[in-house]
Order: sequence, then structure tokens, then C-alpha cells
Amino acid sequence: MIDALAYVVIALAAVAVIWGLVTAVTNRPPGKAQLLFAAGLEIVTVVQSIIAVAKLAGGFRPVELATTIGYLIVIVILIPIAWFWANAERSRFSGIVLAVAALAVLAMTLRLLVLWTPAA
Amino acid sequence: MTDVPTQPTGATVRKTNSGAGRALIAVYGIFALAATARASVQLLTKFEQAPLAYLLSALAAAVYIVATITLARGTRASRRLALIAIIIELLGVITVGTLSVLDPEAFPRATVWSVYGIGYGFVPLVLPILGLAWLWHTRPASR
Repeated sequence: MIDALAYVVIALAAVAVIWGLVTAVTNRPPGKAQLLFAAGLEIVTVVQSIIAVAKLAGGFRPVELATTIGYLIVIVILIPIAWFWANAERSRFSGIVLAVAALAVLAMTLRLLVLWTPAA
Repeated sequence: MTDVPTQPTGATVRKTNSGAGRALIAVYGIFALAATARASVQLLTKFEQAPLAYLLSALAAAVYIVATITLARGTRASRRLALIAIIIELLGVITVGTLSVLDPEAFPRATVWSVYGIGYGFVPLVLPILGLAWLWHTRPASR
């Protein structure tokens, strides 16, 4: 984990959450820019997980290794699934679907920052 | 959202996997993933520390998986399974939530349902209520 990168993920995810809620409230399906933004969030999230896994491979040992690995895997599959689910039936609720997934990415990144403590 | 499919019997079926249901299923899906990952880690790496709590984690994961899939399928048969899963979910979160408050010793390790899902912003308590409300809202019209 790189703190600065985690904060970028958190900021992008927060924007994705708000964007999703805004399109839901204004009764529109997510537009192209919004979907591209979600893709951008996904790319940064994947980069974060790859760097973290590389650090684990390099010998870094967090307190809860198994939990940390679980988070690093699950966090990268949320946006792709939400993307598919949001586009399979496009409505105002597609925005909520994207918002829910982005909120999960945000919460999991916050948790990863806490988990990323070296084992004593 | 406007066209309601009609079954050969003439009874209309409002699908659980359309409209607001898609947002509900997204939340269920995330809990299915989270609970499954959590239960797997707990059962594989530290089962002996708190067998009861970790078996309950596995039960919660199974319930969320079943609810997600059955709501997403949205057929008549899957509605029944969804109803059963969501009732188990509601009973689970109320039972485990109450026990974990009254007798914390019995739950030395957290589960999704501990203290009514406080670790997940109480979403585990609200979710089954929303699920039942959605099943009621989309119930087949009486013949």
C-alpha cells in the first residue's frame, strides 16, 4: 500500500459515489463520462492492489495477512461487476449500483490502510 | 420498467430483478462477497479460536449468496427461496445481534451480524427489511 495512492482511490471513489447518486436523483442512467470515470477508478484500484501484492511478495507482513489478501482481491472485482449490472438494465438505479460499489471500494481502502500495519 | 411480462396463466409478474431491485441486489451482492471472503479467511486460518462465530459467518455468507442469486433470477420459484433466505437473514441478525449484546463472551470474534451489524453501518439489519419490503412490493397479483 502507498498512502498517497490510497487517498487518490478514496477521492475518486467518493466522486463516483456522489456522481452515481446525482444521476439517480435526477432520474438519468449513467452517461459515458460517468462510466469512463468508473473505469478510471477501477484502473487505479487495480494498480493499488498490484503494488500491495508486490510488497507482500517482497516480504512485507501485515498483522492480518489472509484478511489483507482477501481485501486486495475483492476490491478489484467490485467495479467490473457493478459496471455489468448497471448496464444490463439502464435506469436511474444504475447510478445507485455504481455508487454502492464505489462506496464499498472507498470503505475497503480505508480498512486496508488500517490493516497495512507490520506484524510485530 | 413499464412493460410488465404476463405469464400464460394471465397473472402478472413484477420481477424482483428490475428497477429499484437492481440496487438492492447490488448491496446483497457486496454482502455476499464480503461475508464469503470473511468467512473463508476465518474458517481457513483461525477456526479453533471461535468456532461458533465463524460458523455463523459461513451461514451468513450462504444466506447472502442465496438471496443475491434468487433476487437476481427473479422467477416465481426463486422468489420463494429468496423469501426463505431473507427471513433467515432477519432472524440471524436479530438473534446474533441480541446475543452478542447480552453475552459478548459467546462471540469473542466479530461476525457480520454482531451487534446488529455495527461493523457494517447497521446495513445488515436494514437489508433484510428492505428485502422483505421489495418482495412484498413485487408480489404477484392475486388471481
